[in-house]
Amino acid sequence: MQTFHAKPVPWPDTAGELRARVRALVSEHFAQQGDAADPAKRANSWAHPDPAFSRKLGEAGLIGMVWPKEYGGHERSSLERYVVLEELLALGAPVGAHWIADRQTGGMILRYGSEEAKRQWVPGMARGELFACIGLSEPGAGSDLASVRTTARRKGDRWVIDGQKVWTTNAHFAHLMIALVRSEEGSERNAGLSQFVISMDAPGVTVKPIIDLTGGHDFNEVWFDNVELPETALAGTEGQGWAQATAELSLERSGPERYLSSTALLIELIRAVGPDASDEVKALVGRLTAEMWTLRQMSASVAARLAEGDDPALEATMVKDLGNTYEQAMPGLVQAAVELDLAGGDPLARVLGYLLQVSPSFSLRGGTREILKGIIARGLGLR
Amino acid sequence: MNEQQTMLSEMADGLFAELGAGASLAECWPQIEEMALSSLLIDEDAGGFGGTWDDARIVFRLAGYHALGLPVVEAIVAAHIASPLGFEGRGTMAASADGTLDSDGFTGTITGVCAGDGADYVVAPFEGGAIVVAGDGAEHSARKTVSGEGRGIWMLTGGRAERAATDVFALGAFARTAQIAGALDAALAQAVAYANDRKQFGRPLAKFQAMQQNLATFACEAAAANCAAIGAAQALDRGDGRFEIAVAKLRANQAVGTGTAIAHQAHGAIGFTEEYPLHPLTRRLWSWRSEFGGDSFWAGAIGGKVLAAGADVFWPDLTARTD
Repeated sequence: MQTFHAKPVPWPDTAGELRARVRALVSEHFAQQGDAADPAKRANSWAHPDPAFSRKLGEAGLIGMVWPKEYGGHERSSLERYVVLEELLALGAPVGAHWIADRQTGGMILRYGSEEAKRQWVPGMARGELFACIGLSEPGAGSDLASVRTTARRKGDRWVIDGQKVWTTNAHFAHLMIALVRSEEGSERNAGLSQFVISMDAPGVTVKPIIDLTGGHDFNEVWFDNVELPETALAGTEGQGWAQATAELSLERSGPERYLSSTALLIELIRAVGPDASDEVKALVGRLTAEMWTLRQMSASVAARLAEGDDPALEATMVKDLGNTYEQAMPGLVQAAVELDLAGGDPLARVLGYLLQVSPSFSLRGGTREILKGIIARGLGLR
Repeated sequence: MNEQQTMLSEMADGLFAELGAGASLAECWPQIEEMALSSLLIDEDAGGFGGTWDDARIVFRLAGYHALGLPVVEAIVAAHIASPLGFEGRGTMAASADGTLDSDGFTGTITGVCAGDGADYVVAPFEGGAIVVAGDGAEHSARKTVSGEGRGIWMLTGGRAERAATDVFALGAFARTAQIAGALDAALAQAVAYANDRKQFGRPLAKFQAMQQNLATFACEAAAANCAAIGAAQALDRGDGRFEIAVAKLRANQAVGTGTAIAHQAHGAIGFTEEYPLHPLTRRLWSWRSEFGGDSFWAGAIGGKVLAAGADVFWPDLTARTD
């Protein structure tokens, strides 16, 4: 039995040059922002939106790297894009504003969207000016996504959306949403669902914030009250929404953001304890380094297979499960290994305090640990 | 895998499956020699197979997968180091050498000699590199590790020996990493098959969510060990694999703890019996975890290096190794 079909990763020749560009861009941005010293802002950085930084990345040609030039993309290879992503995350760049558009929405519209939708949205996404959110969860549909009840019905040559989404990250500043809704009246479970591209400024769309336990605002509730959309808002094939949405999961689950969220903590730990650390702390740094190196191997190996057109869905799920476990465990391991004043302002305490509070979400977002393990079990031939 | 690797893999898979855990050195070693497997890493112009480290990883993994009862892995690594120095026959590896090398040869003790009975020479870590010592005249003291594999002691008073620059301790760690990867995959396959087969409460164990979640965790650990082994092999083929071997062996060691625990838990009492084929895998896994660097050794070594280099080069150093 071999469950994880790994490929040696053909790292691109341009990797060094790309990293140098990203490093220069990020250090310049941090210097301008004046808060480069705060590692709490560099942790979990794909949850930190900064539209100004997204625009700079867009100008540098580092968003939509694999998209066609016709739609504002740059036609680079997907492993070149992978290098840029891991570099941005490891440096803690605030990539939250455009992350979803770059990772999946742009590609999804290019694959399934109407020509009008491609022209309307994709070039702006590549410039780092148009941001996306994903409408999946609803009050009655969390992990059990097939319970979606928001509806789309035809009215002449238009579609009308009614219902509610919840836990929608970034809906408060996103320009568009890809929503999974029930387009066939009376359909059940994963049949009769379709994906729509919804402009967030359409009449009838209401967004209300959900404040998280740190006082932060990522999540929202979104209501649709008779929201009228043009026919071209349907993405892909009517009734095929489930298959389309789940096909994105390999892209969503195996990226470097699934294991690098706590990297700023590891770096601050190395800085704080120094070369004369106790044997116990040295060993902890060794174990965390080994796990990070292994996860990088795994994540990049899935990227290499995706680049060849495979769909390594099982491997991607394993990367997310292991990666989330790692980035989530790190705050607790560091807290156990060093004495700290969490009320104090030193960098290690700040980043640790932040991650202790947000890391429970790492094994929730994008599919809970329990759901992932169920998928892996099915891949093993259990169930 | 390239075409050559597919052929190598099929050949080794078939042979190791047939020989299995119970293969006897005296009876079965000729079959290994017939395939010239020991020359896998010897250069082609010296009459060897001229294989890469990734080729070796494939063979080592399969030796682990089938809990092979023959010291093929050790013979391949030993021949790689000792063949250019003129040593012939069946070589093997050892954990450590303590003694002096002078004009009289090697005088001292070699500990943890793998399947040393009948070996023509042994390669052991020595002063940061390796020492190759001929078996003639060695006084043997037999010992076995928890898997039942021989890990004896050789005492020598003079006798032919040569120094080699190769870090055989690191190569041993690499070999064990690949073997661990294979043995974990095999134990996982057994646990999955058992869970699908065995019924309790009127349904297969595989239908129980607690079983599914445990085996999924196991699968992730096996995957991590396999990917670590691939990464280490790639680094060795690029040139310098010392860092990658360290992190890979540490990661594989950790997978042993989780993997063996779940393998036995999934099997219940039957997995604990002598006749059931789980223990040749799990007992080897427990042995290999300690060989060529246990968790604390590698964790301390890696952590020490990372801390000495400093926070600002942590990520640049990591990525520079593959760019």
